Amino acid sequence: MSDPAVEVKLEVKQASKEVKESENVAEKYSAMTVSKNSEMNMGDLSSAFSAVPTHKPVKKQIQFVEDKQEFSRFPTKAGRRSLSRSISQSSTDSYSSAASYTDSSDDETSPRDKTQVNSKGSSDFCVKNIKQAEFGRREIEIAEQDMTALISLRKRAQSEKPLAGAKIVGCTHITAQTAVLIETLVALGAQCRWTACNIYSTQNEVAAALSETGVAVFAWKGESEDDFWWCIDRCVNNEGWQPNMILDDGGDLTHWMYKKYPNVFKKIRGIVEESVTGVHRLYQLSKAGKLCVPAMNVNDSVTKQKFDNLYCCRESILDGLKRTTDVMFGGKQVVICGYGEVGKGCCAALKALGSVVSITEIDPICALQACMDGFRVVKLNEVIRQVDVIITCTGNKNVVTRDQLDRMKNGSIVCNMGHSNTEIDVASLRTPELTWERVRSQVDHVIWPDGKRVILLAEGRLLNLSCSTVPTFVLSITATTQALALIELYNAPEGRYKQDVYLLPKKMDEYVASLHLTTFDAHLTELSDDQAKYLGLNKNGPFKPNYYRY
Amino acid sequence: MSVQVVAAKMAEVELKDVPSGKDLPAGSPMTPTSEGKCLGRNDPHEAGSSAAASPTAEPSKAGEGSLGLLNTNPSKMPQASALKRTDPQLNGGEAFVNRDGTVAEAPRMKKIQFADQKQEFTKRPSKIGRRSLSRSISQSSTDSYSSAASYTDSSDDETSPRDKQQKNSKGNGDFCIKNIKQADFGRREIEIAEQEMPALMALRKRAQGEKPLAGAKVVGCTHITAQTAVLMETLSALGAQCRWAACNIYSTQNEVAAALAEGGFSVFAWKGESEDDFWWCIDRCVNVEGWQPNMILDDGGDLTHWIYKKYPNMFKKIKGIVEESVTGVHRLYQLSKAGKLCVPAMNVNDSVTKQKFDNLYCCRESILDGLKRTTDVMFGGKQVVVCGYGEVGKGCCAALKAMGSIVYVTEIDPICALQACMDGFRLVKLNEVIRQVDIVITCTGNKNVVVREYLDRMKNGCIVCNMGHSNTEIDVASLRTPELTWERVRSQVDHVIWPDGKRIVLLAEGRLLNLSCSTVPTFVLSITATTQALALIELYNAPEGRYKQDVYLLPKKMDEYVASLHLPTFDAHLTELSDEQAKYLGLNKNGPFKPNYYRY
Repeated sequence: MSDPAVEVKLEVKQASKEVKESENVAEKYSAMTVSKNSEMNMGDLSSAFSAVPTHKPVKKQIQFVEDKQEFSRFPTKAGRRSLSRSISQSSTDSYSSAASYTDSSDDETSPRDKTQVNSKGSSDFCVKNIKQAEFGRREIEIAEQDMTALISLRKRAQSEKPLAGAKIVGCTHITAQTAVLIETLVALGAQCRWTACNIYSTQNEVAAALSETGVAVFAWKGESEDDFWWCIDRCVNNEGWQPNMILDDGGDLTHWMYKKYPNVFKKIRGIVEESVTGVHRLYQLSKAGKLCVPAMNVNDSVTKQKFDNLYCCRESILDGLKRTTDVMFGGKQVVICGYGEVGKGCCAALKALGSVVSITEIDPICALQACMDGFRVVKLNEVIRQVDVIITCTGNKNVVTRDQLDRMKNGSIVCNMGHSNTEIDVASLRTPELTWERVRSQVDHVIWPDGKRVILLAEGRLLNLSCSTVPTFVLSITATTQALALIELYNAPEGRYKQDVYLLPKKMDEYVASLHLTTFDAHLTELSDDQAKYLGLNKNGPFKPNYYRY
Repeated sequence: MSVQVVAAKMAEVELKDVPSGKDLPAGSPMTPTSEGKCLGRNDPHEAGSSAAASPTAEPSKAGEGSLGLLNTNPSKMPQASALKRTDPQLNGGEAFVNRDGTVAEAPRMKKIQFADQKQEFTKRPSKIGRRSLSRSISQSSTDSYSSAASYTDSSDDETSPRDKQQKNSKGNGDFCIKNIKQADFGRREIEIAEQEMPALMALRKRAQGEKPLAGAKVVGCTHITAQTAVLMETLSALGAQCRWAACNIYSTQNEVAAALAEGGFSVFAWKGESEDDFWWCIDRCVNVEGWQPNMILDDGGDLTHWIYKKYPNMFKKIKGIVEESVTGVHRLYQLSKAGKLCVPAMNVNDSVTKQKFDNLYCCRESILDGLKRTTDVMFGGKQVVVCGYGEVGKGCCAALKAMGSIVYVTEIDPICALQACMDGFRLVKLNEVIRQVDIVITCTGNKNVVVREYLDRMKNGCIVCNMGHSNTEIDVASLRTPELTWERVRSQVDHVIWPDGKRIVLLAEGRLLNLSCSTVPTFVLSITATTQALALIELYNAPEGRYKQDVYLLPKKMDEYVASLHLPTFDAHLTELSDEQAKYLGLNKNGPFKPNYYRY
C-alpha cells in the first residue's frame, strides 16, 4: 500500500467484483457448507475471512457508491475478475517489502512489444526488463533465507524428483517468495510457466531473474486488463506444451482454461487453489457438476489458517498500530469487537502489553471463551465513551456506527482487522460538519465541530494489510503447502481424487508444520513403536482425526 | 492429545473410588476387597466399551477392541460404532467427514486397559457386574468427592435401605434411600448448589411458564449429588415427572437423596449399594405400575441397557435418550450400528461447551490446585516440562506460564508442536531437559511417556504427575523395585527414594492429578446439567421425524444456548446482531452463529 495512487486504481477496478462477491455472500457460504470439505465458514467470517481479504471483497459499499462510474466502464466479467484476487493473508503480496524498487520505468514500451531474450537465447517469456535479473536473484536469495522449510523440502525431495513430468502452469503473485516456490518446483522436476494473478503485485526484477533461469514468466508490474489475460493465455497456449497441473490464486487461470481450452482443462491432473475466492469458485463449479478434474483447497489447511488468522494478526495488530500512531499500549482501554481467531490473536497481544481489554461478541460460545480467558464481555455502547482503541474483527458490517463514533472520546483510535472495509461505517463520517485531516499515510484525523478528534486508520480498511507486513514465515507456510499439494495431486494413485474439491490430507498439513519447526529449533518427540501401537497411530502421523479442533 | 483425556478420566474415576482414603468418610463402606473388586470390574469394561467410541476415525482399532470384548463376553452388543452426525453438512465429505468434534477419545484406552485388567476381567464374568460400576467418563460427570459428599454418612444404621420402611412426611413411600431424616441437611446442600448453578436456575425461570417437559416421564440414572438434585428439580419445574437411580454405587450423597425423596421424587439410591442393590434400584425406577417412562437420562448407559434388555416394549416407546458419558455414548453407537437402537439418542458429551470445560479450562485450574494441595510448591521460576500440547497441555502451560514458570513442551504432532512454538514455549524432547526440570507433567494420552530411565535421571525433589490419561503415562510399575524406597508423605504424595538419597515426588501414584487431588468446580457441573436439560427438552419437543433412530449431537444452537445461560455469571453482555447485520452475514439473529466444523 505504499503507493496510494496505485491502490486507488486497484480498488476502483475491484469495486465491481466486490459487489458481486457480497451478493454472493450467502450463497457462498451455503456452497461452502454443502461441499463438506470446506473449512471456511461464516463464523470465520470474523476470523478466516476476516484476516484474509486483502483489498477486495468488502470494499463494496463505499467503493461502490464512489466508483459507480468506473463500474460501468468495465463491463466484461472477465475484466472485472481479473483484478480481484486472493483473499488470504499469505496470498497478498506485501507491498511494503521489497517490491520493485527498480521500477522507475526507465522505459515506457509495453513488454509485449519488446524483444525478450535471456542470456541463453531463450525468448519464451515476457517481462519488463531482463536486465534486472541480477537484482531479482538477490531478492530471491534473501527470501530463501527466510523460507527454510521450502528449501529443506527442496533438498529432501530433489533426488526423488516427485514432480518429474509435471507441467505446471501457475498464476500467483510474482514475488521473491513465489520465486522460491517456483524454483523449488523446478528442482523437484516440474516444468513451470507462470503468470501474475494481480496486475500490480509483480516484482519485475524477480520476474526477470526467473526468466533468466529459463522459467517462462509472463508478468510485469502495471499490466493492463488486456495484458493480464494476454499473459495468462501465453502461459497456457503454447505449441507442443500442454500443462497437466494448475497452481492458481484467485481462480482466473482456472477459469480461463475452463472457458478457452476445455480440452486442455480436461487433461489436467489437478488444480491447487489457495485463495478463498478461487476456492469458492471451485466449489461452485463442483456443485454445478462442471468440475472435471480434482482440485485441492490449500486455503483451509490447519497450519495456514492458524497463521493467517491467529498468529499473524497477533503480531500485526501491534505492528500496525505502532507504525501508524506510535501509541503506547500499557494501561490503555481497548475494546475488540469479535472473539474469533483474529480477535483471540489481538486480545492476546494487547493483554500481553498490559492493555485493559474488553470484548464484544454475538456468539455465546466465543463469548464464554472470552470470559474464561479473562476478558470482560461488554456491549460496545457500554464502553464506547471510555475506550482508547477500538479494533473490529467481526467479519460483519457497521459494527462501529456513526452514533458510536460520535460518542468516542478525543484521541481514540479506530481500526479494522476484520473483513474488508465494512466494519466501520466510514461513509457516515464523510459529512460536511466533520473535517478530515490526513496526518500520515493511512492515518486520518476526523475532527468534530467541537474539536474532538478520532483517529481512523487505513480508512477502515484492513489494518494488517494496509499498515503492516506479512512475514515471510507465513508466506513460507503457504508456499510449502502449495508445493506439497502439487506433489500429492500429481503422485496420487488413480482414483484417490475424483472430480471434486479436496482439503490437503492431514498428513501433509502435519508435514508442513514439521518443516517449519526447525526455525524454532524445536525438537519433536517421536513415538516409540510400543506407544504408536498403544495409540493406534502410525508413527509418522496423521496424529489427529480430522475433526480435531487444535 | 486432549481428546483422550476425557476418556482417561473415566478410568480414573474408578481408580479414584479406591485408594484415596483421605477423601472418603471414615465409615466408608468400602472394604479393601470391595475396592479390588470395584477396580477389577470397572476397568476392563471401561476399556472395552470405550474401545470403539471413535466412529470412523480408527475403524481398525475399534475392530480389535471389539474382538477382545467379544471373546470374553459374547453377549456384549456388537461393536465398532458408527457415529451419526446430526448435521447433514458433516456427512459425506471427503476430508472432513468426521468433523463432528466428537467422541474419538475412547479408542485409545482400550489396549492397555484391556491388557492390564485381563485378569480381573475374566474373574468377573457377569456382564452386569462389570458394567454396574463403570460410569461416566467426563470430568463433569464424576462426582467430586472432595466437595460436600455425604458427611452425614456415618452409618448410624446397618440395615439395608431395601429392608427399611420408607416414608416421607407426606406419607409417600415410593422411594428407597438411606435415611429420610437427613432431608433437611440435603436441602441445604441443594440450596448451596443452586447458588453456583445460576444457568440451570435461569433455565428454570425462563421455561417454567411454558412447561416444555409437561407430560415427560423421565427416568434417570446419574450420580446423585446436590448438583444433580438441582437438575432434577429443574426438570420437575419444567413439567417432567422424574424417577431416579444412581449410576455409581459410591457416589450418592445420602442426604441429597433424602431431600429429593422428601420433595416427592422417587429416588432409589444410597451410598454403598451392592451390585445387586444397584440393579434393584434401577429396576424399581423403571418397573412401576401405571407409570411408563418416555425419556431416559443416562450416565454410563446402564439404565438404557437395562431397559433395552428387560423391558423391550417399554424401550420402544421411549421418545429419547440423553447420554452424557463417553462409555454410554459408545454403547449407543454400538447399538445404533447394529441397527438395534429404536429410539433417538442425544450425545451430550461432545458438545463444544462441555468439551472445552472438561479439558482446557478445567485443567488450567486444576493443575495449579492439584500441585499446590499436594506439594505446596511455588511455581515462579520453576522449570516445568509439559508432555503433550493438546487441550489439556495448553491449559496446563497457560496456567504455569502465568505463574512465572519456565515451561517446556514435548509433542509428537507437528501441528500442535508449531502451536506450542508460536505460543512461546520451547519444544524439546524429554530427555534433553529431564536433568534440569523441577516438575514433569504428562498429558499425552499415551503410555510410558515418563519411563524409569528418565526417572533415574531426574534431579532431587523433582515432582512427577499425570494430567492425561488414566495411569499409563508414567511408568510407575518400574518404580516398584527393591532398591527404591517408597515413602508416603501425605495422602496422594509419595516420595520415591533412590539408593543415593535422591527423592522424586510422585503424585497420586501416576493417576490423574486433577481427579485425585483437586475438585471439579460446580460451574463445570452446571454446564453439563444444563446441557442435559436442554437435550431432554429438545428431544421431547422435537417434531416427529426430526430425530430418527440414531445418535445425535446436541444441535449447535442448544450448545450456544448453554453457553449463553452461563454468561451472566461473568456479568458478560452479549452483543446482538442488528437485522441488517444478520442479513449481511446470512445468519439468524439468534444463532447458530457458526457452522459445525468451526474450531473455536
